[in-house]
Amino acid sequence: MLSSRSERVEGFQTTITTTTPTPDNPTPKSTSHNTPSRRTIHARPAVNPGIVTDGAQTAGETGDAVVALTDVEKRYERTADITVEALRGVTLSLPEGSYTAVMGPSGSGKSTLLNLVGGLDTPTAGSVAIAGTELSGLSEPERARVRGEEIGFVFQTFNLMPRLTAAENVAFPLVFRGVDRTERMERARELLADVGLADRTDHRPNELSGGQRQRVAIARALAGDPALVLADEPTGNVDTETGDRVMSVLDGVNDAGNTILLVTHERRIAEHADRIVHLRDGRIQEIEVVEKGEDVEDSEDAEDAAIDGSDGGD
Amino acid sequence: MDVAETLRLSGRAIRAHKLRSALTVLGILIGIAAVVTFVTFGASLQADVVGQISETSANNIYLVAAEDDEGFAGAGRPVFTEEDVSTFAGVEGVERVVPRGILSVSAISYGNDTVARTQATATTPAAFASTPFVAGEPFELGREEVVLNRLAAQSFESNATVGDTVALTLGGGRTRNLTVVGVVNGSAGELPFDAFGSQARVYVPTDPLYNTVVESPSAGAPQRVYPQVTVVADPAETGAVRERVEEVFPETDAAQLVPDGFELIAQTSGDFADQVEEIVSQLTRFVTGIAVIALVVGAVGIANIMLVSVTERTREIGIMKAVGARNREVMGLFLTEAVLLGVLGAALGVPVGVLGGWAATQYAEISLTLAPGWFAIAVVVGVVVGAVAGLYPAWRAARVDPIEALRYE
Repeated sequence: MLSSRSERVEGFQTTITTTTPTPDNPTPKSTSHNTPSRRTIHARPAVNPGIVTDGAQTAGETGDAVVALTDVEKRYERTADITVEALRGVTLSLPEGSYTAVMGPSGSGKSTLLNLVGGLDTPTAGSVAIAGTELSGLSEPERARVRGEEIGFVFQTFNLMPRLTAAENVAFPLVFRGVDRTERMERARELLADVGLADRTDHRPNELSGGQRQRVAIARALAGDPALVLADEPTGNVDTETGDRVMSVLDGVNDAGNTILLVTHERRIAEHADRIVHLRDGRIQEIEVVEKGEDVEDSEDAEDAAIDGSDGGD
Repeated sequence: MDVAETLRLSGRAIRAHKLRSALTVLGILIGIAAVVTFVTFGASLQADVVGQISETSANNIYLVAAEDDEGFAGAGRPVFTEEDVSTFAGVEGVERVVPRGILSVSAISYGNDTVARTQATATTPAAFASTPFVAGEPFELGREEVVLNRLAAQSFESNATVGDTVALTLGGGRTRNLTVVGVVNGSAGELPFDAFGSQARVYVPTDPLYNTVVESPSAGAPQRVYPQVTVVADPAETGAVRERVEEVFPETDAAQLVPDGFELIAQTSGDFADQVEEIVSQLTRFVTGIAVIALVVGAVGIANIMLVSVTERTREIGIMKAVGARNREVMGLFLTEAVLLGVLGAALGVPVGVLGGWAATQYAEISLTLAPGWFAIAVVVGVVVGAVAGLYPAWRAARVDPIEALRYE
């Protein structure tokens, strides 16, 4: 039984650099949402979307940027005449240990941004650097390596390998890094214990609930000790209660020092992050900093729920 | 990605669809088994026939007039005269010369029992020099005598034995009463294959029964003329003797009597063995070729199922790529799966094929000869078939766009 937060996160990365965001030039914004306190640091005009001010870039965080997008554009040529501009000049930096959410309506470029940051796609213009490695110049095999070593994916639909056990799924990314089986499985069991699934290591995905599957996916994302965890609507396929548990696990992952980029369309989920990037029409509309002061109690509740869930098998 | 993990993943994918995989493997199994069956049967047949030739009559040289390039196929023209038999007997290294003629016979009777026959062999006592007699002895020239092989002796209601009289009805209806003087086994050296002697045979002396004659160009007088002559050589120099026999061909009557388009040929048992080997291996190759079609069908089965598999597992491919698998690792995984199916089919197909070959040899009443080289080939073929069939599907898998794949339902 896991009793305290600090114990829960022991298995995660050890670098802990979470500090409270302190933006330089807070701009008050009309708050139509009834949310925990938040401050908007930027409501940048659409005419000049590519530039992010110093305030946003440093965002009060320390450490090097794990992800640096500079003037990124992505165009899809559907036919000779029709070109879709999915991203129109996005500059964004994710400092080490940061927790960033991306929100926006469908068609805003969320998925494109995710694919670029995840090394699944290459930009039409601009630069994407992950952990200091510029992706644009890389061949497909090299990008595959970056994905394997620097990125941990968490998907809406879990995307576990159906014929592998929970532990084998968690160990799967290490297969492509040449880690031997004993070591892989050892690491997988540790990570599964960290997400409260120590007793589910030999279960196949179809023997697990949605919440359990997503926790396996989170453990898998962490297996390779990645620079960045990319979560794409991680709660999109589970009910609200289970979603909260999943999010508390993700929060724990961030508390342990991991950098997280979370894509969601749910305000409630996005507020787990330290800041929220609002995308619209392929541009960053605003970057909003989430104040977590009033959040703590809720968060603790979710934490407890996750632990209960792991015991009872949600 | 290490080999053990690749095999583990491929193995699991195969096991995930047991029936489908089993049917795919069955396709290859049938192909390989068919090939192995025919190859095994061919090898057995060859070993059997060649074995008989070499042990019975390795020093026999068979002379015939045959159509050009037809081997013994066009044989049967009577060209060798008594004069020629003497000529061949004079060649160095020749132990004896046995002329053989065909006597048209319509029936043979023993007591009240008459059996229809089409021919008897007219020859000299020398034909029986190395033939085991069940009873009695060779006939003598100039006497009304007959030698039967065991099958011929047993073809009557009560077996004919030495001392009995049989009546031979010749073409034209004339009947000759002949005394049985001997019963032999097999074909009395008439053919190099004892197996082919497993039919009734009747041997009569050339004198007085064989009356096919021709004016001998060299002797200037009518002489008996034979379609086939067997020269029995000193076993130590069969090949050399054949060459010497061929050298005297131009001096023989046969050389003048031979019709246009025919030529005199001398063949040893070894030549027969070669010819039989050639025929059997051609037959084997032909039938094996048909079996290979089954293998190709099996390969198409693998390609088909792998393509289905790639489509079904598009999302898995996306996951693999997302967690760091390179294209060639994805390709390797699918290729391994296809090769595993092929190897599995080959590994199961070989024993099934051997079993089939054994059944065929049992049916043909010959002994089983295995061709182990082909087993190794079968496994290699399994690998190659799997690889070739899996190549395109695996390439398709490697090219799957991870973005699309992860969205794939």
